[in-house]
Amino acid sequence: MTAAAIASRQRTLDSVVATARRNTWTIGLLGFLALLLAFTKLIQPSYGVAAVQGLGIGVLPLAFAAVAQGVAVIGGGIDLSIGSMMALTSVVTATAMQGQGEEFGVAVVVAVLLLGLALGAVNGALIVITRVPDIVVTLAMSFVWAGVALLVRAAPGGGASHWLMGLATGSFANEWVPKAAVVLVVTVAIIWIPIRGSRLGLSIYAIGSNRPAAFRSGVAVGRTRFLAYALTGLFAAFAGLSLTASTGIGTPVPGPYTLESVAAVVLGGVSLAGGRGGVFGPIVAVVVLQLIATDMTFLNMDSNLALVAQGVILIGVVMFGSLIQLRRARA
Amino acid sequence: MKRNGIVRSLAMLAAIAVVVGACSGAATPSPAASAAAPSAAASVAPSAAPSAAAASPSAAPKQYTIGYSNGGGVGNGFREEQVCTAKAQAKASGSVSNLTVIHRNTDAAGQLSDIRNLIAKGVKAIVFNPNDPAALNPALAEAKAAGIVTVSVDANVTDPSTWNLTNNQVKYAELGAKWLFDQLGGKGTVWYTRGLAGHPADSDRDIGFKNVLKDYPGIKVVPTADGVFTGWDPAKTTQLTNDFIQSGQYDKIQGIWASGMGKQIVDAIKAANKKFVPIVDADIGGFVAQLLDPTNFPGLKGAAVTNTASVGGAGITLALKLLNGETVTASAGAKANTVLLDPVLLDNLTDTGKAGLNSWVSVPGMDLLWPLSLSIEGWTTYDPNTVPASCKGA
Repeated sequence: MTAAAIASRQRTLDSVVATARRNTWTIGLLGFLALLLAFTKLIQPSYGVAAVQGLGIGVLPLAFAAVAQGVAVIGGGIDLSIGSMMALTSVVTATAMQGQGEEFGVAVVVAVLLLGLALGAVNGALIVITRVPDIVVTLAMSFVWAGVALLVRAAPGGGASHWLMGLATGSFANEWVPKAAVVLVVTVAIIWIPIRGSRLGLSIYAIGSNRPAAFRSGVAVGRTRFLAYALTGLFAAFAGLSLTASTGIGTPVPGPYTLESVAAVVLGGVSLAGGRGGVFGPIVAVVVLQLIATDMTFLNMDSNLALVAQGVILIGVVMFGSLIQLRRARA
Repeated sequence: MKRNGIVRSLAMLAAIAVVVGACSGAATPSPAASAAAPSAAASVAPSAAPSAAAASPSAAPKQYTIGYSNGGGVGNGFREEQVCTAKAQAKASGSVSNLTVIHRNTDAAGQLSDIRNLIAKGVKAIVFNPNDPAALNPALAEAKAAGIVTVSVDANVTDPSTWNLTNNQVKYAELGAKWLFDQLGGKGTVWYTRGLAGHPADSDRDIGFKNVLKDYPGIKVVPTADGVFTGWDPAKTTQLTNDFIQSGQYDKIQGIWASGMGKQIVDAIKAANKKFVPIVDADIGGFVAQLLDPTNFPGLKGAAVTNTASVGGAGITLALKLLNGETVTASAGAKANTVLLDPVLLDNLTDTGKAGLNSWVSVPGMDLLWPLSLSIEGWTTYDPNTVPASCKGA
């Protein structure tokens, strides 16, 4: 082996190590997920293809919600209106698609994504213009969007295009790969990866990690926050679409997604202080949370106790996370 | 030192795994405590009277694993009691080797994954209280493909291979409305307090209420022809009633039709020192206790219509019948694959009514917010006294 080859290999190794170090948390979480899958197979030997498909469809809405929350939190904010935006986009989708052709459904999806972008933009504009704290504005807007959802549709119902429902069910290429998982990863990759590498992405991380410093370095703080919330709205719309895709209807009353998305973001290694973490960690966290719920069913665990256990896990993760950060800061 | 970060994270996550394991280990079912002498059991006559002793062959019965999914109303009296009756009936049947209950607040998408988890667990039947009539169909079709019997209780689903077992909510409203309008001599104003907007049971009750209203042209309904929604929320109901009284509207009505929140309404009227008007509500413990307490609620005339939460237990019986290959006939006038349970009405004006109400409140340990009728002839075989104790444990 030549010295050059060794050096090049060393460089590759270095970059792998660097990537791994940056994504320590996500890699650890993936390891935990692998353990959890093995544990699941152990307690339920019949756990197989159908169950993995179910897992894929089951995580889709919350995974998109977690990505949406992830973007807001990385930018130093928080969005408590995600569940309501999901309900609104979902009822709009189900109402518009009911009794319409498949092609019309494509137009509906495009319109709903634009709607999500607009909802998020309204949140962002209010936060930037009024200077009221993010948590207050988005909490207030959660009532507004939920109310509008009820105006669109007083009761659950509507319909969904067959292709939309088909996007979430079934497998892709290999029977072990749920189509829902492919849709999720491809969508997030297409939208988030280019943005993360761009000026906007850097600005989002910058304002999240230190807003005054970002401002002094010439980052347009107001515009970046506005765009981050618009992006959150867009991903919330994807989450709303996946609700309709999995159930075939729209439900005006928001599900438990807002707080669960915060939980997934925290478990996914995004710092609630902002500026740290990514959106793939939260996605893995959602899969972990869903699988824990499945295991609790397999173990015949009391559902109320299962809720307690989930809370304990979250607190544990946040505590260990802060501990690690503290030790890092000292090192 | 930096590589230790990975190791540390892994160790930490393993620690979480231990926590999860420990928690699941703690979930031991508590023993059924009550062995009290069975007292007079309230019974609700089902419209489709099936063979009496349900699924109890003389030989050792076949054993099945059954899953139960309730996707909302955790902490709500009706839903909690429904789950308890399911557990009690599973035990009483002697044919259920394992009952897995998923009882959590979620939406239709969440209940879809709960049902899929039960399919993955390999249960033989799934009994569930649906969050939506159509949204669960994909998972129900998967259950059918896996050879699993599915029974929807308390509300209907559109899936053609699933059986529905529900209280007849149209009749619930009709019985109560007729009693109330007759009390008023067919003339007067009625405060129409409903349940949750868009809920199928609420919509059916609205149909029943309006069916009867057509025959009583002298009855006026406030605040609007479509009534007011309490959301089946006790706190909201109290607020609504207080507002109704403060605004002076209460003084202009002669009767109240309620959908399960009667106790809160009566309490608010008492707190405002107003005279009671006749009220009809469901057979909720707290309301029935008020009807039977002339000392604290003088002059309170009322009636309770059964809306039994024992549909949970009856659902288990229906699932076992289907698993054992017994024939089940749909109720007359109902959709295919649907069994309707007819309600009964008891008031505190007659001696028979009072005796019936008294027999309901005799079961010990019942929560004030629970419906009191616990037995459904032909569909539940448990001793009603065991129901409150069955709630604990998996």
